[in-house]
Amino acid sequence: MSKAGSMQPRERRLSLLVTVLAFALPVIFVLVPLAIFLVYSFFSVDQGTIVYAPTLGNYVRFFTDPIFLPVFWNTIVLCVSVAVICILLAYPAAYFLTTLRGRWRYALLMLLLVPLLMSYVIKIYAIRSILGLNGFLNKALVAIGILQQPSTLFVFNMNAILLTLSLLLIPFAILPIFLSLERIPQTLLRASDDLGASGLQTFLRITLPLSLPGVASAASFVFVLAIGDFLTPQMVGGISGFTFGRILYSQFGTAYNWPFGAALSVALAIVVICAILIGERFGRSRGTSV
Amino acid sequence: MGLKKAFLRLATIGLGIGLMTSAALAANLRVLAWDGYADPDWVKDFTAATGIGVDVVFIGSDDEIWAKIKGSEGQDFDVFAVNTAQLQRYIKADLVSPIDITKLPNQKEVLPRFRDLSKVSGDTKDGKVYGIPFCFDSIGLIYDTDKVKPAPTSMSVLWDPAYKGKVLAYDNGEHNFSFTALTLGYKDPFNLDAEQMAAVKARLVELKRNVLSFYTTADEAQQIYQNNDVALIWANYGQQQVKALQKIGAHVAYVNPSEGALAWLDNWVISKGVRDNAAAEKWIDFMLTKKVSGQLSERTGFGNTVVESSSAGSNDKLVWLNNVEDPLKRSDMWNEIKATP
Repeated sequence: MSKAGSMQPRERRLSLLVTVLAFALPVIFVLVPLAIFLVYSFFSVDQGTIVYAPTLGNYVRFFTDPIFLPVFWNTIVLCVSVAVICILLAYPAAYFLTTLRGRWRYALLMLLLVPLLMSYVIKIYAIRSILGLNGFLNKALVAIGILQQPSTLFVFNMNAILLTLSLLLIPFAILPIFLSLERIPQTLLRASDDLGASGLQTFLRITLPLSLPGVASAASFVFVLAIGDFLTPQMVGGISGFTFGRILYSQFGTAYNWPFGAALSVALAIVVICAILIGERFGRSRGTSV
Repeated sequence: MGLKKAFLRLATIGLGIGLMTSAALAANLRVLAWDGYADPDWVKDFTAATGIGVDVVFIGSDDEIWAKIKGSEGQDFDVFAVNTAQLQRYIKADLVSPIDITKLPNQKEVLPRFRDLSKVSGDTKDGKVYGIPFCFDSIGLIYDTDKVKPAPTSMSVLWDPAYKGKVLAYDNGEHNFSFTALTLGYKDPFNLDAEQMAAVKARLVELKRNVLSFYTTADEAQQIYQNNDVALIWANYGQQQVKALQKIGAHVAYVNPSEGALAWLDNWVISKGVRDNAAAEKWIDFMLTKKVSGQLSERTGFGNTVVESSSAGSNDKLVWLNNVEDPLKRSDMWNEIKATP
């Protein structure tokens, strides 16, 4: 008894240390930088140096200047579209994977995830040469006879960003959907079959509802990754594909207006946090009902 | 025994060499430059000709030069290379010494446009010379000789609707305002008043509607050129960009626009903390020899101030880049232009 009692303080100290470390890492590396950002967004810039006097000017400018809000909305619409496209393409792929047996299922899943091993920039370069006016896509469409001559429909505009982002982010949609599909108990499907439901009925009334949490988290994943990306729009967006990420990026590079850039990031962070919350909320409420 | 003696002798020789080099190091000329400005063979020739040893440190950005020179208040280097837009900042901070050009015989032999340094904006202050130009490149126009006929003479061709969707421009507000101001005939493209800014902005919105995309790196421009129908490129990377394109078989040519081409100009300057002024002057004079300057152009593709090169013909008008009135304002307006539908 007494021995156990003497061990307790030391154990408690150890567990306290572990707890502190566990909290310290995210606090130091995530929360503190975010807080610094938030603080910076209330500063301003004069003649290339940062003025450390609190002001709401950056936020006023964001809401009143006619250029920022439209670009902001357009970017959100763009990224929602990317998420929808990714889901529409990823769902059938993930569903097909679950119909495979044993080793094939995971071998194919790995193949679908292989693009993630490649450098992001290299992928964008590759996609850009595919989309170009003399690129593979145009040449193929002309060769098949769908187009009379190469089209500029997906060259340096919003469509190009949409296509490129969707292509880049599909793996992030496949994985959560596949996991949620895989988790559906086979017994439920068999019971449905026994009770005389058709394949389509089983899918619509059992598989689809039960996989929605995966769809929700896939959608929020893709949306968040897409909205934070400035490189893809910068490299394939051309003149009409101007996104919020590009404005943000320019505040830190050429403009050297960190406070305003910080304010824009705060706006972006709020959207991202909302997207994650919605995705998680939707995912969890469905998940618990299983 | 013999072995021990030999070993001892070797050690003595080693020590001797060590002492000699360290003595030489103490008096060596300390040079700070971009890669390509102080190649090893030139350094060797310089040491052979003057008996002065040289230590070269290479830098990679304007900010790095500033950090190194300002950080030591000029004490760590004798000579360094800096462009005209930056030089005034060093003069203001009292980090550079005036240069006596009578000590530089080769400066009298340079190309006409560099002979009178008071006419090279940014090189002088209060009648004193602070920078000796030696290397430059223009930001001209690359055009596809098969697609653009007749050969263009002005940047105004970028606005020509005949080339809609075939123009590659550069993604930088500062430069774009400057060159557009030149096409509008403004005297000082680096100091625009509000009215001029508005006019330039309107022009740039029109330009935007005529271009295929805005690029940032030379590599990127080349890739876009290869996969698309590009006729005109605003060549931020000048000669290097032309040569790279020609290497992949592109039929392109380069022209400096008649309204004046923006151009950067690098100078040799002597730091405030120079240890041996005469040695620094010898270095600069050596760099201005026909041989070194010619080789500099051959190796880097940049223009030099001594021998004619493909960067600029003798009649081309060059406008040396300078600090702009308000970089933040230009950057904001550039974003507005890009956001305009």
